[in-house]
Amino acid sequence: MITRELFYGFSSSGIAFFYIIGFSVIAFFLFGIYRHIRKYAKGKELVTKVDLLQNIKKAAIDIFSHKTIKRRDRYAGLAHSLVFYGFLIAFIGTSIITLEYDITKPLFGITFWHGYFYLIFSLILDLGGLAMFVGIIMLMIRRSSFGLEKLGYIRKYRGENSPRPIARIWKRGDWFFLILLLLIVISGFVQEGIRLAIDNPEWKHWSPVGVVVANILSSIIDVESAGATIRSVNWWFHGLIALSFIALVPWYKAKHIITAIGSLMFRDPMALKRLPRIPVVDVTDSEHEEIVGVSKIEEFDWKNLLHLDACTKCGRCHEACPARDSGYALSPRDFILDLRTYNETAAAGDGVNLIGDIISPETLWACRSCGACQEICPVGIEHPTMIIQMRRHLVDQGKMDPLLQSVLSNLSDKGNSFGESPKSRADWVKTLEFPVKDIRKEPSTYMWFVGDYAAFDPRNQIVSRTVARLFKVAGVDFGLLHEGEKNAGNDIRRVGEEGLFETLVEENLEAFNKAQTFQSIITTDPHSYNTIKNEYPEYGETPDIEHYTTVIANLLESGKLKVRKPLNKRVTFHDPCHLGRLNGGYEPPRKILELIGCELVEMPRNRDNSFCCGAGGGRIWIPDDPGTAKPSESRMEEAAKLGAIDYFITCCPKDLTMFEDARKTSGHEDDFLVKDIAELVAEAIELDKLSLKDVPQLMEDMANVIVDKVIKSVNENVDQIIQTRLEIFKQSYDASLTKPLIRGESALELAAAVEQHVATPENEMTVPQEAMTSEIIASDKRPVETHAPKEPATEVITQSALPKALGSVLDVTWELNKLSPISFADLDVEPKNKIRIFVAVKHVGKILSAFSIQENHSDVAGEFIDYEFNEFDDNALEAALRLKEKHDTINGEGSAEVIAVTVGDESAEDTLRKALAKGADRAIRVWNDSLIGADPFVLAQILAGVAEREDVDFIFTGVQSADKANGATGAIVAGILNRDCAAVVVDLEWDGGSSILVSRELEGGVIEKLQMPTSTVFTVQIGSFEPRFASMRMIKQAKKKEIKVIEFNDSMQSQSTPGCRIERLYQPAVDRAEMLEGSVTDIANKIKEIIEGAK
Amino acid sequence: MTNREVLVVVESINGNLADISLELIAAGLKVKHQIEGTLTVLLCCVQAQTQSEAINCQGVDNVIYVNLEQDNNYSEANAKVLEKVVIDRAPKIVLAPHTVNGYAYGPLTASKLGAAFASDVISIDCESGVVRATRSIYENKVQMEISFPGAGLVFMLVRGAVYEAAKPGGNGVTVAYNITDFTADMKSTHLEFIPAPVSSIDIAKSEFILSIGRGIGSEENVDRFAKLAEKLGATLACSRPLADAGWLSKPHQVGLSGKMAASCKVYLALGISGAVQHLHGMKHVDTIIAVNTDPAAPIFNVAKYGVCADIFEFADALEEAL
Repeated sequence: MITRELFYGFSSSGIAFFYIIGFSVIAFFLFGIYRHIRKYAKGKELVTKVDLLQNIKKAAIDIFSHKTIKRRDRYAGLAHSLVFYGFLIAFIGTSIITLEYDITKPLFGITFWHGYFYLIFSLILDLGGLAMFVGIIMLMIRRSSFGLEKLGYIRKYRGENSPRPIARIWKRGDWFFLILLLLIVISGFVQEGIRLAIDNPEWKHWSPVGVVVANILSSIIDVESAGATIRSVNWWFHGLIALSFIALVPWYKAKHIITAIGSLMFRDPMALKRLPRIPVVDVTDSEHEEIVGVSKIEEFDWKNLLHLDACTKCGRCHEACPARDSGYALSPRDFILDLRTYNETAAAGDGVNLIGDIISPETLWACRSCGACQEICPVGIEHPTMIIQMRRHLVDQGKMDPLLQSVLSNLSDKGNSFGESPKSRADWVKTLEFPVKDIRKEPSTYMWFVGDYAAFDPRNQIVSRTVARLFKVAGVDFGLLHEGEKNAGNDIRRVGEEGLFETLVEENLEAFNKAQTFQSIITTDPHSYNTIKNEYPEYGETPDIEHYTTVIANLLESGKLKVRKPLNKRVTFHDPCHLGRLNGGYEPPRKILELIGCELVEMPRNRDNSFCCGAGGGRIWIPDDPGTAKPSESRMEEAAKLGAIDYFITCCPKDLTMFEDARKTSGHEDDFLVKDIAELVAEAIELDKLSLKDVPQLMEDMANVIVDKVIKSVNENVDQIIQTRLEIFKQSYDASLTKPLIRGESALELAAAVEQHVATPENEMTVPQEAMTSEIIASDKRPVETHAPKEPATEVITQSALPKALGSVLDVTWELNKLSPISFADLDVEPKNKIRIFVAVKHVGKILSAFSIQENHSDVAGEFIDYEFNEFDDNALEAALRLKEKHDTINGEGSAEVIAVTVGDESAEDTLRKALAKGADRAIRVWNDSLIGADPFVLAQILAGVAEREDVDFIFTGVQSADKANGATGAIVAGILNRDCAAVVVDLEWDGGSSILVSRELEGGVIEKLQMPTSTVFTVQIGSFEPRFASMRMIKQAKKKEIKVIEFNDSMQSQSTPGCRIERLYQPAVDRAEMLEGSVTDIANKIKEIIEGAK
Repeated sequence: MTNREVLVVVESINGNLADISLELIAAGLKVKHQIEGTLTVLLCCVQAQTQSEAINCQGVDNVIYVNLEQDNNYSEANAKVLEKVVIDRAPKIVLAPHTVNGYAYGPLTASKLGAAFASDVISIDCESGVVRATRSIYENKVQMEISFPGAGLVFMLVRGAVYEAAKPGGNGVTVAYNITDFTADMKSTHLEFIPAPVSSIDIAKSEFILSIGRGIGSEENVDRFAKLAEKLGATLACSRPLADAGWLSKPHQVGLSGKMAASCKVYLALGISGAVQHLHGMKHVDTIIAVNTDPAAPIFNVAKYGVCADIFEFADALEEAL
């Protein structure tokens, strides 16, 4: 019978011995597997469920095609596939033998391992063995003589020059794995060879490698005499190392045979495109705190832990990582290996904090979340997701770069990362030749989601306008959300501020819903594109979104944009990570470049291998360490090497910003220009020669010309107007009086004239304010553009609402009248059982660059003010919180409380919430509309009243409010309460006693140190007590804390105090720079004079 | 005739008369003439009599000084002295400096007196005794004109560097004011003055800044502008890319991630295009002079004077002009 005997020449005890070993091996193998499963079981449930069937299919394709291994390294791919398929064949072959020998034959008497089946089996296994042999040798050569730095595990970015002990162990493990496999293969062939040499069966040529080995053996040994011994000894050698191999699989590098399959099977097809949400934990009924992010190994999900074991240390991620490439302290591989090494021995409650103990915060912050590592990982590890989960913890702890912290604060206050007013979000359209729709009011085909950089960054604004003009020419109907749009949140989420991300998503989704009808969203920003496309749908119904490259490519193809002048430029193109790698948008930009006649020269790293500009993952908001290379600069070098490139093209606002910088700093300023793809399209269609104005717009312009002429003539006749105006005043005691709004240079004189007129007692008037709305020229509510090109004095002067009779200070006799606090006697106050620290905070206004004044002159018109937590008070709160913590350490937890108090309307609760989120225990808001425009005396009397009623021990506030800048409230409170005041405090040291060591910053940076009573009112300097970060999660939780609202009424005021009254508000004239002309020498002389004059 | 006294409080710390003192006297003089009254200057410090000469400016009618035996908590001391002097003399107008100490004793004293009060005043008009003052609010973007109806005493803190200093050489009557042992019941104790560190560069405190941006091209050119800054007596500053590249150390950087040019009066920006983040740190400066080759550079939107020129040529010309 054509077959071979399995246990040739074995005694039954020998066979039994083999079986005992075999079962032990299986047990040891299973024990190893069990230990791993137990390790993974520590991890959390998966947040994102996977479609297992689909994943298995995809994993199978990846594994059998080897495409994840072949990518960017065909040699390794080929070698590995030889080993893989050889191993697979050997494994299947062995299984078939086991199937017959141990199952079908003893149980059913069925045999099949003979005859042709056996012959073909022999041939395939023979070839499989050969493949494995070749593959292993190839890998050994690669490892020993390719000089691959990544396989040395030396962390150059950490300044290492030689491998650490563990790296040596890894290297030995790598070689052990290869050598073990090689020995199995060789001993297998020796066994086959010796068998063929001894038995010499007539079908031996079905085992061609075996025959070769048999011939070699026959030529070097005497088969007759030594053959049997070799056969028997080698059998055991082969058998034992093969079994050892199996036994050891779970215990070293070989485990990837299993873990990689698992890792690939549970791979998230949306990894990084869509980050996992933080599971909502109901914290109300449990004592334990909500866990945000990952700082302990068991806080990862089990798949992440499986990822750790799947890593083969191949180093592809290490090579691809832009952070590692630029010398940052991050290698995705080392990140995984460090976690894995720790996880081998990690025990619950070992007190190890992953962040700091295992992975440094610098490493976490180095990530650009470009996805290059997970893209190239052959075993499907999702490094960025793990990094971001750990960042979430850091952000929740407020541990981050101060600049990033201020960006996040800006985002939560203003909805944009620039800290600009939300109202100025659409300012970039103002210089367009045509009106742009507000989609909140008018329906349109597309809603253009602009994104922060495209809306606020001056260089990108130019691109945005170009895109708008292209759309206009092509007849693309679009509208903007104006301040309805908030930062899309993509990078905020990748920074790790999940709470803020969710808030932004909710706000944007609401804006989408409230907008008039539109078909889909378009954007120029790949970051917004990614999150809206992939992440928003988890939070609510989200319209489709397209990147502008797709839209423009279609417009060019359909002829709606006509190329008039093919550019004939040699260009290279940078694939934005969020467009290309994450969303596959590789072709539309290339199509555009082709259609406008550009010769595209690809950089070596293109498409999925595109090299991040370094801005992603919030890195654009984190300053690079001085002197470090930047990924964007490395990219510039790459482009420059292409030679003779005209343009470096991007289609991402952040890219444009990064590369515009990098082109200059990397010294390639003369080599090529950095352009947005839209700018090239504009050039190709000769946009500058096309008329963009609508016909109706033209008419509007004509109307404007007429209006301008009228105004001009009015100005010329201003004297006459003054006359008219005076007449009106004289005649209209009971008529609705007017609020003059006058343009032109004579405005001041006019105002003065009017004032002089009304100041005379016989013209004293009492007219209700609401009656004063008639107009002399035009009630122009349009804000004044402070940066508008210089026009002859466009200052708007608005006369005081009411003509007032101003008394002379000489006519009034002064009486000593000490201010007293407002009495809040009726207010319920908790019995005092702890130290009370009072912090007065203010919700301050910040005005837009263009604004107008309210008609009644109490303030700037509300629509031009954004409100925020006064930064001085934020510092004061921090000082108070630190004092509380100090008190707690001395007198026990909970022995002091911080009360944040404000005088303001309901909107001021935003600031109180922030104070509560940061750690204030209680908040009180006092208000009545009669307090609008109240002077510092009244505010201080109220604050003093609350402080007195609450019987507070410490009083803090900021030096001044950023808006009205009186810098007086704190000191007045002190005066009222007969306390002392320390102004401009920069440091406090307190040991729990009745006095406190105060440092104040005097003029010129002199510090004064004082010993003061703790009852002193401290006004805290900005920048001295760096405020802690309140994450959006904390702000949301603070919503559960109560804010006590006290309705103020005038009857609480027991004394009448002389106050100051606002007569009028006006804008000092601000203009664009006066451009100095003339010879450079003349200019220099003029500047010298200016400098001397201004100093 | 009613008392028409204008009382001006001046300061001296560490033996140096504060610059703002003579400016305040000038403001007081203007008011004195407008109300046809008298001007009294008050100084409370260590060895005050030695400085009484310096504050006896032309037009000053009375100089009152309070001698302290040693440095003290000037905020508290001034509050006590001022309260007493005002009660004794019942002036119509009190002007105090808007200084760090003024922040404390000014409003505190005003609240105890029942005076009408305004702080950080940049101009005062008192024609016929009708007091009108101008303040700047919203980061100096808006001017606010205020009056004090019904007030018999107006107390104002006046900003520095808005009035020209008064001229010395007056012949006012100098009086030492004896307040019996008022330091005995001081609540606080002055410990020490720690002078500001001298060598380190401090953008926030510099009044004249020469700031360079990417327009300088390469690191080698930094020295060239450092020399110009030295010759001008300006502090050398830069925009973010230069600090990031390590061409200048981080403390030189002006902007969102760097320093605020908080005290700056003249800001000479060479080769800075004016990124939003940079503008954040300097756009409030009164006199901004920008030199850039790009006429559309955003820096020109905030600058008072603009020059469209090559910065190297300009630097050479300016150096020659000095």
